[in-house]
Amino acid sequence: MNRENVRKLNSRIALSLSTIAALSGLFWLIFILGDVLVKGISALGPALFTNDPVPPGMEGGGLKNAFVGQLMITFFATLIGVPVGILGGTFLAEYARGRKISKIISIFSDIMVSIPSIVIGTFIYAIIVKPAGHFSGWAGAMALAIIMIPVVLRTTENMLSLVPWTLREAAFALGAPYYKVIIQVVYRGAAAGILTGILLSIARVAGETAPLLFTSFNNSYFSTNMNEPIASLTVTIFQYAMGPYDDWHKQAWAASLMITIFILMLTILGRLAIRWRYGKR
Amino acid sequence: MSDIVELEIKKLNFFYSGGIATLKNISLPVYRNSVTAIIGPSGCGKTTLLRCFNRMHDLYPGNRYEGEITFKGKDILSKEIDLIDLRSHIGMVFQKPTPFPMSIFDNIAYGLKLRGTRKKAELSGHVEKALKHAALWDEVKDKLHSSAYALSGGQQQRLVIARALAVKPEVLLFDEPCSALDPIATAKIEELIQELKKDYTIVIVTHNMQQAARVSDKAAFLMMGELIEFDKTDKIFTNPEKKITEDYITGRFG
Repeated sequence: MNRENVRKLNSRIALSLSTIAALSGLFWLIFILGDVLVKGISALGPALFTNDPVPPGMEGGGLKNAFVGQLMITFFATLIGVPVGILGGTFLAEYARGRKISKIISIFSDIMVSIPSIVIGTFIYAIIVKPAGHFSGWAGAMALAIIMIPVVLRTTENMLSLVPWTLREAAFALGAPYYKVIIQVVYRGAAAGILTGILLSIARVAGETAPLLFTSFNNSYFSTNMNEPIASLTVTIFQYAMGPYDDWHKQAWAASLMITIFILMLTILGRLAIRWRYGKR
Repeated sequence: MSDIVELEIKKLNFFYSGGIATLKNISLPVYRNSVTAIIGPSGCGKTTLLRCFNRMHDLYPGNRYEGEITFKGKDILSKEIDLIDLRSHIGMVFQKPTPFPMSIFDNIAYGLKLRGTRKKAELSGHVEKALKHAALWDEVKDKLHSSAYALSGGQQQRLVIARALAVKPEVLLFDEPCSALDPIATAKIEELIQELKKDYTIVIVTHNMQQAARVSDKAAFLMMGELIEFDKTDKIFTNPEKKITEDYITGRFG
């Protein structure tokens, strides 16, 4: 075989291997999504959203408590985590730009992103749940917020760094003080990117179970009291899937489907936001 | 061109944070209602000099001025100067167009809003005037509320000029305003500069010798941070005092 044919053969082998790898990844993804879809849809019904759980064996129970609880925990986590992340990212990219402290915080923030979420759950358990003496929705929201902060912080930092310096200088040259330059000019320039970061960070925490197990725990009754244990979809899925009842299994599938759809929507929104730039014609 | 000196630079030295003098002992007057061109080879300190006039160097730590620049009877290099106020009297236009990510209207109104103008009618009046002054009004009057990014490069540069004009400065600094533009857009900006000098005092940094010759009344030739020659533009371009100026202008180096 001459050299050209060897090269061609190598190329074909590499191409085949990577295609097989991609297809096998795709196969499992479709398999899982398909399974969730098929099994989830069969258990979907209005009762799932409007009714609270009933004792096993009874008809017509739903997961209203878990849907509401999930939304509340996620909402408050966003409310806590996003401002901290954005302000932190602003500090790193603007006020501490080029300084050592900025580098150090960035590195720690990257490490935080990869901390297993159950560690954050136990951390909150130690500093909030234990001293308070009981599980609470707030503890759950705090745990999720801590997971969100480094994600929002790093995207904000990156997006702000992409705004050209000349734009800031132009605003300074008009006599703007730094905080106005940041709020009125730089944030606008980076808005789409920051929004994407926020959406993806919500998507990141919406599927978390481990940090909630130790913090917001679960609640079989409807509750909107953030000072009490509160139900969430993910913990409910965990509990129901492990349980012995067929009804529970069905509802766990339906909840899995709903949470998958929710995260999918957030991710799609995030992708769209990335494409959206201010003033694109 | 009037005989009144708008900006008087006296024995100016400037050091970047590294500590090496980038401008050495520069003294020159900038006359009111005139165009003063700063020319010289790359790295000679043209832009550095220009950015002293609105204290742009203060944005970065470690930079240091020595000497004096007098404007309206005050030394603008002194610590007591309010930079926000200074920059409303001395506007700047950059090399690349720098429209803000907002509408055309909001771009022009930005500086006015910074100074507390809030009334819509008042803003509209100023915006229209500034755009007319920058010869952009006819091109954008029907799309004031669309994005400034939708404009061409030349239009963006005139928009930025209008934005600087809107706050009614006395002095306008241009840092190679045409280097990112095509010849037609360049011609428009040069025309505009000629028009603007009736009301403003203009300092322009340019790499382009023909441009300096076309637009300026006075020219300062800088090299390695030193002022080699300062005179009427005609004189600099036809009969310079120094051999080195002649060499640069005729393109023998640089």
